[in-house]
Amino acid sequence: MRWRPGPIVCILGIAAVLPLIELFLPQPAHVSEAVRGVFLYAILALGLNVVTGYAGLLNLGIAAFMAIGAYAFAILTCEIYPFQIGFWPGLLLTLPVGALAGFLLGAPTLRLRGDYLAIVTLGFGEIVQDVLKNLDVVTKGTQGINPVPAPSLGGTMWTAEDEYKWYYLLLALLIVVILAIRNLERSRLGRAWFSIREDELASRSMGIRVERIKMLAFSAAAAIAAFAGGLSTSVLSSTGEPSNYDFQVSILALCIVIVGGIGSIVGVLVGALVMIGLNSIVLVKATAVLETMGIGGQSNVLLSPNNWKYLIFGLALVLAVRLKPHGLVPPRIERRAT
Amino acid sequence: MSALSAQAITMRFGGLVAVQDVSFTVQEHQIYAVIGPNGAGKTTLFNAITGIYEPTAGVVQFFDRVVCLTFSWRSAIRIALTSLACALATVIAVNIQNLWQASIIENYVYAQPFPWSNGLRDLFGALCGLSFASGVLAAILGGLAGGGAALVLWWRSRRTPDLIARAGVARTFQNIRLFNELSLVQNVLVGMDHRMRAGFWSALFRSPRFHAERTRFHAEALELLSFVGLADRSHDAAGSLPYGFRRRLEIARALAGKPRLILLDEPAAGMNHSEIVDLIALIRRVRDAGTTVVLIEHHMRLVMGVSDRILVLQYGRQIAEGTPAEIRANPACVEAYLGTESHG
Repeated sequence: MRWRPGPIVCILGIAAVLPLIELFLPQPAHVSEAVRGVFLYAILALGLNVVTGYAGLLNLGIAAFMAIGAYAFAILTCEIYPFQIGFWPGLLLTLPVGALAGFLLGAPTLRLRGDYLAIVTLGFGEIVQDVLKNLDVVTKGTQGINPVPAPSLGGTMWTAEDEYKWYYLLLALLIVVILAIRNLERSRLGRAWFSIREDELASRSMGIRVERIKMLAFSAAAAIAAFAGGLSTSVLSSTGEPSNYDFQVSILALCIVIVGGIGSIVGVLVGALVMIGLNSIVLVKATAVLETMGIGGQSNVLLSPNNWKYLIFGLALVLAVRLKPHGLVPPRIERRAT
Repeated sequence: MSALSAQAITMRFGGLVAVQDVSFTVQEHQIYAVIGPNGAGKTTLFNAITGIYEPTAGVVQFFDRVVCLTFSWRSAIRIALTSLACALATVIAVNIQNLWQASIIENYVYAQPFPWSNGLRDLFGALCGLSFASGVLAAILGGLAGGGAALVLWWRSRRTPDLIARAGVARTFQNIRLFNELSLVQNVLVGMDHRMRAGFWSALFRSPRFHAERTRFHAEALELLSFVGLADRSHDAAGSLPYGFRRRLEIARALAGKPRLILLDEPAAGMNHSEIVDLIALIRRVRDAGTTVVLIEHHMRLVMGVSDRILVLQYGRQIAEGTPAEIRANPACVEAYLGTESHG
């Protein structure tokens, strides 16, 4: 069969040439800087998609794993701690650290299902935030940890001004994550995840070791979320305060997965573009434009679109569930040999 | 050798006795039927046999072997290690501030290399200097909790459906339980899962082994689908199949694990006459391929036509067991289940 580019390749191809837009704009718009958030949230949501989309286990505490990855990365690399293992080893270590955290949360909750599991993961998210806030000997409490080093590769450094370098680094890492998840999805492990989502008892009766498969889903999701956390820390050069990883982040990731298409990689990418694009590009720019026209801003808070964003998110979610219950890009029945 | 032997199976739910003292033996390469009126406990018996329920009393043997995890050295070591890890984690969690302060903060001077040996020494010192409550007590409590949890987990996973499936016993369900959003091939491949060996890392890095296995099992899945007559729809979603096809797909999925014994729960339910004729042929082909078949069925022509032996249940008790001719001649069975024409 002749090779044809799939939707993922198309999206990533467009992303690869996106910064060229700047050449045609009258003034610098920093498009590539604005899109960073889309990439980070896409990685986070891809992680959530593994546990919630593939294995069907509703996880409302994905931000906690992002926080764990962020703090682990910061502690391992920041110069105020003795470890200072450098960007790349630190980023790689977020994966096992996240997986371990996922295992620790997953192990006691294996037998929970649906709502009960959601409540436990929700609680876990709150606990992690509280621990990070109060364990200030280790985590510096609400100050957050900084400065977190930027990546360097073969002598080239990523500084705050190199927006294109950051853009392509994040894009490359997003591609790596997509490839990894796609490889897992199209394997017996991915099939086992789908099967427990569809019917846990039936898959158990077919010889699937449900506990093990669920643990792998939890751990893989947590590892990817921690990876996103470590990466975001490096982009911001600080962990920020623990409440940066609160319930809202988990819900935003969940919205991306649901609006985009639960269980579909393309869906998650589209969802991240729509939701984060709305959040940190469209609303922000619209507010700025209106302000230059003398509308909104300080004079009238009701007229600045940025203040409406949670209403708009809620509306988007309701509309998505109402009109497109399987998301903008629902997963397809796999037609290839998987 | 007997394929399945159930001895004095009793299944009780609170005050309700669903199955009481049922014993039967299925020889290899037989087709064995379990019949009885609705609510007689047939499906409960199947669930007890396949590990979905733990029988209140009685022993189930497959191929003269009780399928059950025994307490081995490996499980003992695993539980002990879990307990130890939990003990250590509890102590560290309770004292993290002290330990971190003593070992890391006090030894680290900004921008100077960290004296790791001092750090480790101070960490050890701090651990030894813990009070009874935050040291020994925390370790004991953590160890007990972790060890207890591991023990309970082990106990509850001694006889699970997946273990029994892996021992070569497959089943279908009365209310069809397919993976509706997966394609037919994928449904069958899930049934093959426990025969596959390529694991997480092979899949992640697409090792040669992964590719070889994928090609082999995919071909086998297609073959199995054509065995049950579904080859032309192999890439459709299972949920899109009409009813009779779903039953056949469930049988294919059950056969995918290369079982030596297959339990079919009402395979003919809701099928029309020609579908039943096909089903009878299929069941015979399965038996001729070397698999022992146990089936629950209401459809008398099917039962009397294909089975070698029949077990009759009523109100959870077994009232007869024998060849179809014996059952047909048994007045108790006729009254309980087959019915007499005179009642109209």
